[in-house]
Amino acid sequence: MKNLLKKDNLFQISYRHLISKKRQTIVAMMGVTFGIAIFIFQGGLMTGFQKTFIEQTINTSANIRIYNESKKNLASILSQLNQYQNAIVFLRNPKPKDESPKIKRANEIIQYLQKHPNVEGVSPNLSAQVIFRSGITQVSGRALGVDIMKENILFNVEKYNIQGSIVKLQTIPNGIILGEGLAELLNVKLNDNITILSSLGVALEMKVVGINKSGITELDKTRAYINIRNAQKLLMAENDYITDINIKLKDINESQELAENLQKLLGYKALDWKEANANIFSIFKIQNMVTYLIITTILIVSGFGIFNILMMIIYEKLPDIAILKAIGFKDKDIVRIFLTESLIIGISGGILGLGLGFALQKIIGSIRMNVKGFVTLEYLQFNSSIGFYLFAFFFAIIVTAIAGYIPARKAAKTDPIDILRAK
Amino acid sequence: MNSSSIIITKNLNKFYHDPVEFHALKNINLDIKEGEFVSIVGASGSGKSTMLYVLSTMDSDYSGEIYFDGELLKNKSKDQLAEVRNEKIGFVFQFHYLLPEFSVIENVMMPALKLNKYSRDEIYLQAMEKLKLLDIEKLAHNKASKLSGGQQQRVAIARALINHPKIIMGDEPTGNLDSKNSEAVYDIFRNLNKSFHQTFLIVTHDLNFAEKTDRIIQLKDGEIIHDIKK
Repeated sequence: MKNLLKKDNLFQISYRHLISKKRQTIVAMMGVTFGIAIFIFQGGLMTGFQKTFIEQTINTSANIRIYNESKKNLASILSQLNQYQNAIVFLRNPKPKDESPKIKRANEIIQYLQKHPNVEGVSPNLSAQVIFRSGITQVSGRALGVDIMKENILFNVEKYNIQGSIVKLQTIPNGIILGEGLAELLNVKLNDNITILSSLGVALEMKVVGINKSGITELDKTRAYINIRNAQKLLMAENDYITDINIKLKDINESQELAENLQKLLGYKALDWKEANANIFSIFKIQNMVTYLIITTILIVSGFGIFNILMMIIYEKLPDIAILKAIGFKDKDIVRIFLTESLIIGISGGILGLGLGFALQKIIGSIRMNVKGFVTLEYLQFNSSIGFYLFAFFFAIIVTAIAGYIPARKAAKTDPIDILRAK
Repeated sequence: MNSSSIIITKNLNKFYHDPVEFHALKNINLDIKEGEFVSIVGASGSGKSTMLYVLSTMDSDYSGEIYFDGELLKNKSKDQLAEVRNEKIGFVFQFHYLLPEFSVIENVMMPALKLNKYSRDEIYLQAMEKLKLLDIEKLAHNKASKLSGGQQQRVAIARALINHPKIIMGDEPTGNLDSKNSEAVYDIFRNLNKSFHQTFLIVTHDLNFAEKTDRIIQLKDGEIIHDIKK
């Protein structure tokens, strides 16, 4: 630094201009500092939250889900047959024919899927709407019949299991794993007994062998894992009855393409995770747009600060600019002097801003928040990746450079004769 | 022809278009030789300053031809003209125009650092030498803004000398000084002219000053009406 100060003549001029205007320089610098700090804090909070949410969503919803989609709004056969213009057809209260959501030849499909090179794991399941009952407390929810070891490959159930053990779902015939919120609502603990009652009137006595916390609040309040055979009992179904096949992929970015192919091949609906969560992603898009609009505005305002101080310096230094041009400094040298001034402000303000933003993230991130909303979080999650910081920094530098270039260009354009001419 | 020409003009004309069409310089044909001490005089509005700035390469809006040190200026770009000024012309203005954030010696070094022909240490020594020549070497490390008017003008002269220019151009260099300091500036110029054969082209309305120079060019309404060589 000392060397640069000594050697580069233009840099010296820039540097001394700023030194002679210490207070204004610091104010302009602080503008950039706060701009970047807010960028890092706000943007980091936003993207950090979204990243957490997406991770949890990927962990709790299948990359691809195959199921038998019930057909909606089928025109009745009677109206199809009506070819008589003058006839009036009455059809009251039509009910869909008993159409089973069963996936036929499920075993073959599973075997086929497991051989696919991009498939990491396949887990069949059967979901039943049930009422959980403990004493007089009743909670409605969903009992998910699964092969727990296969399910674990897909959703890492074991990691989110906070009490008990998932293996017991296999070893204990009437075992059940409850979501944390569900266990709280039912007021039951590990090894307590509860009753589950299906819509077909089948009641099963179950024993709590585990408590699970996925972090997605709604899911933890309504979902329980049971053995697939018990789910079949609840629905009075034969033992090859399953309604869903979930797939985990090695490369989740290929989910869309593979889902389309499977849908054509199998004749069942294949839903990939992006499509399943499309509404959330579109919310994120709007959220990001608004956030970055605000942050960009703040940085542009700090750009105005720089623009302002430079215009002030240039106005005051018109005689200096004139003499520099007279003694042989070129227009581009003048541009460089003032552009350097704005970049000194931008870079030093930017570095301070990165530090301040980082400190804010760490301080706020260390306060226990216990957020229970969309997702359950103990602490706020920030995006503190180097890429994000670099992005914020370079964005600020670009704003600074533009804010500096406009007045610098103006300075270079001044005609020295108007100023130097004897009066 | 025992010495070469620094500036030759051929049918130099200049018009101002704003606010009204105005013929500021009319058919100026001039030949300024190396080692001459020339003053340009005339009433205000006679075109003397205009002529100086055209000859100084800062104003390139003219018709006709100017040869500076043998080179035609017309074909040069703005940047090339800046290089010509940096290397071959020294300027002394009515107001000193030193950079207030820099010390005296740094101000003197500035054109040489821009030229970038010698190392910083060599330039420092050369600048010190110029300050000694003008008898202000004691002020070398003072802030330029802390000096008196006469001292500042000496610093400006030292700055004009630093690149060993072909010519020093002055626009009323004594215009803002009292008679004692004006006298001193003349003596400095005269000395430099005598001992280093330094060429001067000085616009002045100070007739006292002009009369002591070797050649007086008088302008009236944009025309040379007298060109007296002693």
